[in-house]
Amino acid sequence: MMNFTIIAETNGENLHPTTYQLIGAASSIGSKSIVICPNGKAESEAASIEGVEKVISVVGDCFDIFDGGAWSTALNTVCEGKILISASPNGREIGARLAAKRNIPIIQDIVSISEGIIVKRPIYSGKAVETLTVSGDAVITLRPNAFEAAELGGAAPINTVNQSADIKISIQEAINKASERLDVTEADIIISGGRGMGTIENFSHLEDIADIVDAAVGASRAVVDEWGMPHRMQVGQTGKTVTPSLYIAVGISGAIQHLAGMRSSKYILAINKDPDAPIFGVADYGIVATWEEAIPALKSALSELKS
Amino acid sequence: MAYEALDFYDVDSLLSEEERMVRDMVRDWVDEEVIPNIENACREGLFPDEWRVALGEMGVLGAPLKGYGCPGLSYAAYGVICRELERGDSGLRSFASVQGSLAMYPIWDFGSEEQKNHYLPKMASGEWIGCFGLTEPDYGSNPGDMITKAEDKGDHYLINGAKMWITNGTIAEVAVVWAKLDGVIRGFIIEKNDPGFSAPEMKGKHSLKASVTSELVFQDCKIPKDRMLPGVKGLRGPFSCLNNARFGISWGALGSAQACFDSAKEYAMSRIQFNHPIASYQLVQNKLAWMLREITKGQLLAYHLAQKKDAGTWIPEHISLAKMNNVDIALEIARVARDIHGANGILDEYPIMRHMANLESVKTYEGTHDIHNLIIGRHITGIQAFTREA
Amino acid sequence: MNIAVLLKQVPDTTAKIIISGGKVDENSVSKWSMSPYDEYALESGLQMKEKNGGALIAITCGPDRSKKMLTDAAAVGADTLVHISDEGVSDSTHVQQLLAAAIMKYEADVVLCGKQAADTNAGSTGPGVAEILEATCVTLVSEVNYTDGKYITMRPSNTGSEKVSTQGTSVFAFDKGTVELRRPNVRGIMMAKKKNIESITSSDLDVNLNNSNINLDSQMPPPEKAAGQKFEGAEHVSTVVSKLRNEANVI
Ligand SMILES: Cc1cc2nc3c(=O)[nH]c(=O)nc-3n(C[C@H](O)[C@H](O)[C@H](O)COP(=O)(O)OP(=O)(O)OC[C@H]3O[C@@H](n4cnc5c(N)ncnc54)[C@H](O)[C@@H]3O)c2cc1C
Ligand SMILES: Cc1cc2nc3c(=O)[nH]c(=O)nc-3n(C[C@H](O)[C@H](O)[C@H](O)COP(=O)(O)OP(=O)(O)OC[C@H]3O[C@@H](n4cnc5c(N)ncnc54)[C@H](O)[C@@H]3O)c2cc1C
Repeated sequence: MMNFTIIAETNGENLHPTTYQLIGAASSIGSKSIVICPNGKAESEAASIEGVEKVISVVGDCFDIFDGGAWSTALNTVCEGKILISASPNGREIGARLAAKRNIPIIQDIVSISEGIIVKRPIYSGKAVETLTVSGDAVITLRPNAFEAAELGGAAPINTVNQSADIKISIQEAINKASERLDVTEADIIISGGRGMGTIENFSHLEDIADIVDAAVGASRAVVDEWGMPHRMQVGQTGKTVTPSLYIAVGISGAIQHLAGMRSSKYILAINKDPDAPIFGVADYGIVATWEEAIPALKSALSELKS
Repeated sequence: MAYEALDFYDVDSLLSEEERMVRDMVRDWVDEEVIPNIENACREGLFPDEWRVALGEMGVLGAPLKGYGCPGLSYAAYGVICRELERGDSGLRSFASVQGSLAMYPIWDFGSEEQKNHYLPKMASGEWIGCFGLTEPDYGSNPGDMITKAEDKGDHYLINGAKMWITNGTIAEVAVVWAKLDGVIRGFIIEKNDPGFSAPEMKGKHSLKASVTSELVFQDCKIPKDRMLPGVKGLRGPFSCLNNARFGISWGALGSAQACFDSAKEYAMSRIQFNHPIASYQLVQNKLAWMLREITKGQLLAYHLAQKKDAGTWIPEHISLAKMNNVDIALEIARVARDIHGANGILDEYPIMRHMANLESVKTYEGTHDIHNLIIGRHITGIQAFTREA
Repeated sequence: MNIAVLLKQVPDTTAKIIISGGKVDENSVSKWSMSPYDEYALESGLQMKEKNGGALIAITCGPDRSKKMLTDAAAVGADTLVHISDEGVSDSTHVQQLLAAAIMKYEADVVLCGKQAADTNAGSTGPGVAEILEATCVTLVSEVNYTDGKYITMRPSNTGSEKVSTQGTSVFAFDKGTVELRRPNVRGIMMAKKKNIESITSSDLDVNLNNSNINLDSQMPPPEKAAGQKFEGAEHVSTVVSKLRNEANVI
């Protein structure tokens, strides 16, 4: 049976949910996982996941700050064969470094894996999907949340290896800033409100959601024209054309001019109290409810997810 | 979103790589800076000064002129620039036409070495705006009878008279003005602060609202002797300027036509009536097909004319034909596009009415549509029909 | 200072992608552009050159059509244009080897590139090239300044952002920055047209491309989206949220 080397990613002191997904992906094609925990973080959590054969904790000073070069040098000493990492920014960087070090290919951001090994990854921002066969060693990064997570239930041994590397990046200054609200044309998630929001003040509820998922806030023309919302927030034919991964329309009827600006969004969630509102015609997910009921529920579901 | 132009016959593939790079540069600028701001400029009736700066920075003013800080591009590149600018607005293209073909060109072709060195670099960079004074209140299509006159006063010239409909007049530093000296038409360079010269703006235009149009008034306007253009006498002077500007219009009008076509196509695809997009009805498709047909023909006309300009094998009648045809079809396309847009077509949400109103001016200036018919008629028959007198 | 900027030509992000015979039909791409993040790398490279002197070397590895993008880079100020023929390689490790060899050949002190190219969106190039060069790499940067022998740059952190510094050969992979991109002008375009593009191949660079152990089986249109799902009542919000995560993978 084939093993995968998995590089764990943590979220504070715990494993990041994507680590469970990496292990789940390996199990889904009948493989065991050897999980590498940088600096030994969350090693016992990793050892208790089903499908994990062994945990290797790589302990060294270099893990104090992120330097992909140092991390990959230290981790490389214990990597073997096929390597799975999360396609997070750090995961991609470590993955690319490991692949170059080992002179093996790297496939980033796959969304499916099957025996063979056959993987799929979206290309051209999702306008096409590519299928690749991997016949030897490779580094593969997995898109977060695209794979079934492995369950707890295991007791793998933990080996600890002391291995550090030179850090070449030094931090001069940490700048804590509330992340600025993104512009609708840049954001990956947009939450837009329409006349159904009742008043411009009620947009603060949409802002709350935007804070949780790092979204931009948009508006229908009605809101811009009648309530004085800035024009740069207007989505539609005479506003911005947007193509986020997720567009959330709240209290927007879905007039053709509004649809012109957002119908190419990858996913659309509509919240509207009128079951016949045309916005439901383009929505992937529709919730027939007033925003007063739906938004607080959305807020708590999202914060739970993000915590 | 990157603009994809209607180019059914891939006419732009005939351009050189350099010409296409110039096109893309202007196109991107128009998309980013002009189209989002044009309605506002029209509403306020002004030509945004940032546009002057940007045109100078891009280095497109006086496009086909060589030397003296001028770009030295081909006529094809000049045409493409006009087309891309006019897709934004005819007023913007007018600004560039007047600056390059009507104000810089006569100095470049007919000016003294000193005049060229003094004026052209600053005009090419956009620092100085130029205007061109030919038309008078009573003399439009027949400028030969103009009454503005210059008198030789020994150590200076004295200019008296008035010009009307002068694009850029009020904002210009430099005016190239045609006036009669001893009954012969000559070109003079007038500077903004010359004594006895004023340039009040004409208000109330329903067309070219984002372009400044002015009167030029000369009351014992005194200018130094070195301000006359030494290199030309008679109507050949203004007419050679007009040839270049008309050439630019023959391309520019296609820009307006494309903007109207784009908007009409998009509207027709999304507007549902009687349960289906109106684009699915034969009558509407016929209109769109007709627009595409005329634009494609116009593109071929303009491109071939540019080749003749660059090769020097053109005659003025070639230019008359292209100016007349392309403005004519652009105006008709604007009207049909307005029809396709239904009531929405009259709103300033859509560029249609603006282009349509602009094109009415474009049809008239630089030789009216019918004057160009007469030019071609004379070419065919050998008989001039401008006037009953011989 | 020699500043290398790695550029990739990609279908314009608004272009339609058409698939025929199990492959993306590149001939049907209506517009090719410089990958958007690369534009920020290029702009920062130009600013770095203006401040510190030196030369900007624009390097691309790709088919012949990508030369046009080098000319575009020259129009805004790139000094040396290097086109590495891609010889049909698609394995990014191979591309990195070619790029790294060219960077060494042109003796670059610092390398700037986009955080990912808008076609594959992979993000392997910057760190991979850094690995081969044994260089430091900082990804997702928004600006880079060179002072007193150090590169100072900003990258995102868990709490906002952090200012980090590196020394020696460094690779910076750019996110969309705050800098305003410059426009070309006619003078730049005319000069760019005259500029020679140095075309090199793997053998010029002494790079042996071994066989790749990945095989491209097919490229296909994305699976059809399922029909819209409508739920009556706010009690279904949590169901929808979990679908957004598990079906759509968007949150
Ligand atoms: C030329 C032109 C250009 C245009 N360009 C644009 C454009 O760029 N962008 C744009 O958006 N519009 C544009 N419009 C306007 C467009 O036609 C619509 O008028 C506009 O989009 C309507 O905005 P709305 O959906 O917010 O309002 P409405 O159509 O009034 O819809 C409000 C919706 O809120 C729902 N609602 C009410 N109360 C609640 C509640 N408590 N909870 C949940 N739902 C509730 C209602 O059921 C209704 O569906 C343009 C129009 C024209 C003519
Ligand atoms: C917005 C704008 C900007 C302008 N900018 C400038 C500028 O910068 N500099 C400048 O010098 N001028 C400028 N003009 C003036 C323009 O060139 C004139 O308007 C044009 O030459 C026509 O002259 P006219 O308006 O006096 O019309 P007229 O000559 O009076 O013509 C009126 C009508 O009679 C027709 N007509 C005239 N003669 C004949 C004939 N013999 N046979 C048959 N039909 C005939 C014409 O075709 C037209 O339909 C501008 C005009 C406009 C509207």
